Amino acid sequence: MPWWVATRERTLLSESNSHPTGAVAAADAEVELVPATHPSEKRTFGELLTSDLRALPVIIGLVALWIFFILQNDVFLTPRNLSNLLIQSTVVGVMALGLMFVLLVKEIDLSVAAINGVTAVLMAKLIVEFGASPWVAIPLAIVVGALIGCVSARWVTFVGVPSFVVTLGLGLGLNGLQLILLPTTARYGLMGTSVETIALAKIDGLAAWGVLAIGVGLYGLLVLSSIVRRRRAGLSVSMVKGLALPLVGVTLFGAVVVAILNAHQGIPVVTLVFSALLGLGGYVLNETQFGLHLYAVGNNDEAARRAGIKVSRVKMAAFAIAGGISAIAGVIGASRSLGVGVFSGGGVGGGTLLLECIAAAVIGGVSLFGGRGSIHAPLLGSLVIGSVQNGLNLMGVHDEIRLIVTGLLLVLAVSIDKLIEKFTGQQSF
Amino acid sequence: MSEPMAAVAGRPNEAASQAPLISMRDIRKSYGSVHALRGASLDVLPGEVVALVGDNGAGKSTLVKVMAGVIGFDSGDYLLEGQPAKIRTPADATALGIQTVYQDLSLCNNLDAVQNLFLGRELTGPRWFGRRVRRAECEVRAREVLARMRLGSLSLTRPVGAMSGGQRQNIAIARSILWTPKVVIFDEPTAALSHSAAAQVAALIRSLADDGLGVVVVSHDIHHFVVNSTDRIEVMRLGGNVASFRSKDVTGEQVVNAMVGGNEGANLAV
Repeated sequence: MPWWVATRERTLLSESNSHPTGAVAAADAEVELVPATHPSEKRTFGELLTSDLRALPVIIGLVALWIFFILQNDVFLTPRNLSNLLIQSTVVGVMALGLMFVLLVKEIDLSVAAINGVTAVLMAKLIVEFGASPWVAIPLAIVVGALIGCVSARWVTFVGVPSFVVTLGLGLGLNGLQLILLPTTARYGLMGTSVETIALAKIDGLAAWGVLAIGVGLYGLLVLSSIVRRRRAGLSVSMVKGLALPLVGVTLFGAVVVAILNAHQGIPVVTLVFSALLGLGGYVLNETQFGLHLYAVGNNDEAARRAGIKVSRVKMAAFAIAGGISAIAGVIGASRSLGVGVFSGGGVGGGTLLLECIAAAVIGGVSLFGGRGSIHAPLLGSLVIGSVQNGLNLMGVHDEIRLIVTGLLLVLAVSIDKLIEKFTGQQSF
Repeated sequence: MSEPMAAVAGRPNEAASQAPLISMRDIRKSYGSVHALRGASLDVLPGEVVALVGDNGAGKSTLVKVMAGVIGFDSGDYLLEGQPAKIRTPADATALGIQTVYQDLSLCNNLDAVQNLFLGRELTGPRWFGRRVRRAECEVRAREVLARMRLGSLSLTRPVGAMSGGQRQNIAIARSILWTPKVVIFDEPTAALSHSAAAQVAALIRSLADDGLGVVVVSHDIHHFVVNSTDRIEVMRLGGNVASFRSKDVTGEQVVNAMVGGNEGANLAV
């Protein structure tokens, strides 16, 4: 029995299609059907730009930025500076990664920076005042971040208040809570608590290559298992395009990065954390049912609901992920600044941290209107923002210029996206 | 006139001998003081395409929404294969074999055909592995269904938002029959389609009935689709049934007359 013959004997599209009145036999008698040509999967360049090659403009932009900075300053391309650049981009990148889950389901979380700040302060308070181990305080901070995300999601889906409003208000509230949690000195120093070593720790030498090998190995297994399944199912498989090309690409890219980082102390642990989150996020978004449902809900939540997807649960998970990841970014931020204070989480209102993590996601290609954006977005977006900051810094240009440039790049990135859609006549998804 | 309808429709061996898949009797539904349905009835027979027509506000959409579990009803009987149907949500209806192809198609434009076909019912791996979607398996099954619908030329990897209206309609239909339903409800299937695409959809709908499904079609396309491509026409007005025709016996004008209350359809009713 074929798979689709579940309950009824006489069923549509069953083996009985040899029957003269079988399902489709009647169809061609009446109308001329579209000739059954072979599936044409060949795409024009314009079509590719709106699908598989959507990241290309951002990558070109990033390369252009780098060339500009390299021409301006000899220091930019040194391993030491590139290592710094990566560390500088981490907090914004991690935040953008978390925020992306919320943006994918057509919501927004304006409280991510506040979650970052309040959970960092909570962690520091537990460690400094209550003598908790970082092994307890850090996971607790992450859980609290996720719970805060759940609360906003519940409010959004149950009460029906737009997430923009809920999280704006919640963010301000959390800012207040952050100030309350702080001691009268308005600061918890984290020196000597071993939290401060997170941002400084690096994995170098052979260990760094080992880490790369593990990463590439996991990725290879994933790609290989897809190929094996396709082959077993009798579907066409391209060994070059499906297996060799992505694997070689990832290996080469990883090898270059590790080589550069090894030339200056090794892979920063925070970069490793970001990479691991990117890998995990990529798996979730591209491979799992939950990832698929995120895209479905973001594009057409009514269709998702009719298909039996529990939309509010998917949204809650997205908010929880954003909250939890913001807390991770908070820990990294606290470690980098060797302590927490009013400034944690970008300061009151989220400051540039909030704006930059939204900007990073959008520059990377995540749509604010849901259902669109890939895992490379937070990486590319945060690298663009981090490069501008780092490069202009090296040139001795002040912060105000950096803000102007970042703002212009944000608008430029979205404009290029729109122009590609306009000129190719293809809508990107 | 006493002749069984299905026999007239040309499938004496099927519809005539079989009990209705769905039987709705005297269904009433009010929204506050608005009576959307005032005792509407409809039988859905296997192997038959029944058109539900009526002017705006006649209650046909409300009736199919009740049938699909989107809304509840106040009183009346809703029998599924002779038993009272326990349908409270669209998911209940789907589980009981009642599929709906909505007018807006309910597709996710950013997903491809395979993902849309299996949306919400993906074949997945184990939970501890994050329920990884078994893409290859889904794709094989999708290919089989599409091939049997003569839709083998559809791209399985392009987002459906980049496809034509006819292709999207076809994907929505393929999704409705993927899990072997008993009844498929179509809401305005030919609206917004070109003439040739509409003809293709009509042929597909006919093929479903030929394979023994009950098909309900809500349509405004009286003169082309309803008169030519259905077996029976139920006319609704003001929340109730006003006329019933065998499609091959009537002209579009007669149906429209009944819809707007011209001659009550009395002398033409079956």
